Amino acid sequence: MAISRLLKRKWKSLDWTQVFLVSILISIGLTALYSIEFQQAGIDKSFFARQVIWSLSGIIAFFIAFFIPQKVLFNFAYVFYGFALLLLITTAFIGSGSVSRWIMIGSVGLQSSEFMKIALIIAIARYFADHKIQLRHWKEFIPPILLTLVPVILVLIQPDLGTSLVFVGLLFIVIFWGGIYPLNYFLLISPLISMIAVFNVTAFFIWMAIFVLVLAVSKPPIIWTIGNFILNIGVGGLTSLMWDFLKPYQQNRILSLFKPELDPLGSGYQLSQSLTAFGSGGVYGKGFGQGTQTHLKFLPEQHSDFIMTVIGEEFGFASVIFVILLLTYLIARMIYFAGENKYRFNSMMLLGGASILFLHSLVNLGMIVGLLPVTGIPLPFISYGGSFLLTAMIIVGLAANMISNDRM
Amino acid sequence: MLQGRNSIQGWRVFTTLGLILLLFSVVAARYYWLMVINHETYNKRANANYIRAVPITAARGIIFDRNNNILVDNSPAYSVAVIPVEVKKYPESLNRLGEIMDVSLDLIEKRIKQNQRGRFAPAIIFSRVPFEKISRLQEGRLELPGVTYSIEPIRSYPEQAEMSHLLGYTREIDQDYLNRVKTDDNDYEPGDEVGWKGLEKTYEAELHGSRGYRYMEVNALGQEIGENENRPPIHPIPGNDLRLTIDLNFQNIVSEAIGDSSGAIIIINYKSGEILTYLSQPGYESSVLSGRIKEEVWAELINNPKTPLYDRVVQGLYPPGSVLKLVAATYLFENEKEQAEYRCTGKLKWGNREFGCWKKVGHGKIKLMEAIEQSCNVYFFNSIEEIGLENWSLLCKNYGFGENTGIDIYGEKDGTVPDEHYMDGRYGKNNWTKGNLLNMVIGQGDVLVTPIQLAQYAAIIANKGIKFEPHLVKEVIYHSGRIKFINQKNSEQVVNVSDETWQKIHEGMRLVVNGKKGTAKSARQKKMTVYGKTGTSQNTQGEDHAWFIGFIDNPDLPIAWAVLLENGGSGGGKAAPLMGKILGKLGKNM
Repeated sequence: MAISRLLKRKWKSLDWTQVFLVSILISIGLTALYSIEFQQAGIDKSFFARQVIWSLSGIIAFFIAFFIPQKVLFNFAYVFYGFALLLLITTAFIGSGSVSRWIMIGSVGLQSSEFMKIALIIAIARYFADHKIQLRHWKEFIPPILLTLVPVILVLIQPDLGTSLVFVGLLFIVIFWGGIYPLNYFLLISPLISMIAVFNVTAFFIWMAIFVLVLAVSKPPIIWTIGNFILNIGVGGLTSLMWDFLKPYQQNRILSLFKPELDPLGSGYQLSQSLTAFGSGGVYGKGFGQGTQTHLKFLPEQHSDFIMTVIGEEFGFASVIFVILLLTYLIARMIYFAGENKYRFNSMMLLGGASILFLHSLVNLGMIVGLLPVTGIPLPFISYGGSFLLTAMIIVGLAANMISNDRM
Repeated sequence: MLQGRNSIQGWRVFTTLGLILLLFSVVAARYYWLMVINHETYNKRANANYIRAVPITAARGIIFDRNNNILVDNSPAYSVAVIPVEVKKYPESLNRLGEIMDVSLDLIEKRIKQNQRGRFAPAIIFSRVPFEKISRLQEGRLELPGVTYSIEPIRSYPEQAEMSHLLGYTREIDQDYLNRVKTDDNDYEPGDEVGWKGLEKTYEAELHGSRGYRYMEVNALGQEIGENENRPPIHPIPGNDLRLTIDLNFQNIVSEAIGDSSGAIIIINYKSGEILTYLSQPGYESSVLSGRIKEEVWAELINNPKTPLYDRVVQGLYPPGSVLKLVAATYLFENEKEQAEYRCTGKLKWGNREFGCWKKVGHGKIKLMEAIEQSCNVYFFNSIEEIGLENWSLLCKNYGFGENTGIDIYGEKDGTVPDEHYMDGRYGKNNWTKGNLLNMVIGQGDVLVTPIQLAQYAAIIANKGIKFEPHLVKEVIYHSGRIKFINQKNSEQVVNVSDETWQKIHEGMRLVVNGKKGTAKSARQKKMTVYGKTGTSQNTQGEDHAWFIGFIDNPDLPIAWAVLLENGGSGGGKAAPLMGKILGKLGKNM
């Protein structure tokens, strides 16, 4: 039969290195979860068991994503997107809990924004599949920006600052790959930098000096120059107004990033506990099940967002670096294949997936040690939680799919 | 369109890869900084995070009398504490606690604030809680999350004899005290009991001991999980014990003899300075003042007209009355003026003032020896002319008046011995006359002494001018069994007069008790020869104070004493018979 032959060929072209990398990462996550529950009385012991089930589901999801024909993805790209958008809108109104991120399917809570991550990757890849689109005209920017902005707004009102930042980050990476001119790219990201720089007067003036210098050297059309300059000043000024628009807990997360010691029992609590646990791990760690900070519950969210802290405390610097290397290798491979792939659609799919994994890894690894604000972004494959594990497995499944497409 | 070619430029791929590597490197560098470079700092912080040092109160040293009778002991008492973070979560717990303990919520909250040592550490809010309350707390345990109780040693006083001013009491350390001792190398903490008065205060450093710790693992909720295996507890070191110079038997006899009268009795070994009896009456109940004192109890003690909180022995300032005449007598004997004879008509006119003798009809012609025996004022009025103020006040100072005796109890007063400088300051230069001096020589007017000074004075006379510093603690007994003798001070010849002079003074004092016309005949004993001198000091606040000082010449029991009966009447009439009674009882036990 043609289909079975096709499946066989597909199976043979499976990128086993990627499977291997993902398996190790999942095993590390399960080990850490097991350690948390190890020898601890009175703790909910079901995290490990549940994560095992999620991992098994993840493997199934991986293979579905791997075997799904490219054509289906391409043709139904906007349908997936529409469905994900519908789901997002639905959760915005009927979501459970005070923070409406979850939609209940039976007894299992799924985060609707997770579907959107995949749908957005596919939709953007679908758009850029036309290799004539090289982002040389402003009209070419509109579809990808719109595709991203709508879910960003929907996610922001949930409110989930972290996920919306992941979407924005994805957009910027994709646009860079879309063929944008470097100068235009600079002009595009300059308002973002203005936004951050405005928190420090000196930084803002230095940034504006660089900005003006670049404009002077590159001499874009005069309208662009003036327009962008006003935009930057305006964005900078508006940021302080937008600061007030943020919910206090979001403000606190950002503030506690800079001064965790200011309020050790309030918003900085998680961070200062995380730093303590992390630093106390040393080079080799305290050993399996021996982490005092994590086991005695000093560290909140240790199963999910702060799982790396458990690893750091118990298994030390060596293991943490090992995890970073694994993630870097996995992501870099995807980027490499994205560059090598014959087809633009495949390339963009790989790039989008890699971007999501990268942004999640960076934000998570950075936030637990105070480099980035605590935004509640899980670490791919390792953090406890079904929704994002499934997403990540689908992403690597699709990536394997795209890689094998190229090989077949 | 599906087959659209991928035409990505290589530099875009490399830039992306480079950026990813760079950002991950930044994270890795941060991890290196945290986990390798600053590992120690965070490790310490982690340990502080999960190990709580739970203090174990050290028992204070025990206080024994000279014969190993226990005067101050420790007994267990319950204290109730709350864990601040828990009661914040369950405020109704405090309401319930207030009901059981019968106090207002405000008070509980005030005490939590005062005694808080951290959000998770128990703050003691009630000490010495009766067992009945503890059992009620135990019954209502489920309604009292965050409330705990523990057993701690407190002071107990097994003896009935009045010794409160001597032993003092302990109190919960206050903020002032903490601030004061903070600079020193010690481990005081809020909630500690510290010596507040008496020997408990003087010997705080010996008695206190040092706190031990148990290292408990706690979770983030502050709940103790169990003892940390890697850190063995530090056992508390009990305070050092004190062996006093006090003889409980003497103290009992004296305490019984004085009854309800106000006054002070000190019996001192003049060959060593050891104080055998130290009584200031009235006293208070040490156990009532210990720990936390109820405001109404305090108010009652403060407002009691008999001033029970005031230690008469070292803080009471009184005119010494006629007992001070021995100072003048010392001078007169030494300078061979004893043959001078004066006529006592019951009063002496000086300018337009009259100075009376206690005997209104007068003593007639009288010499020094008789003047001592009969305590004739007029004789001594006349004698001041021979002595002069400077000689007299210098001799007073040699006898130890006007300065601390150095006894090991806090709060000792100096008293006043007027000299020219003092008189000029008090009345203005040349504004005072001999008239002022007449009163002083008989122990009235400006001269003020403490009972302990008079006891020391009696001891110096008995010992023929040699002074041993009066003291209450004989030795410190360390936990290890080692004994440190303290207060073994060398004697000092403070009054340097001839042996004949001393013999004459002693003879005069013998006559006071044993002479036909002696003022202290009531103190006479069959078994021993008693030497003494009575005094009756006038005071503006009521009845005269009665004094009797003296000694016995017994090599086995070389004791001197000072007896004060406040507003008791005359020395001969009240103080001497009291001491006679005491000596009688002591004689029976000898």
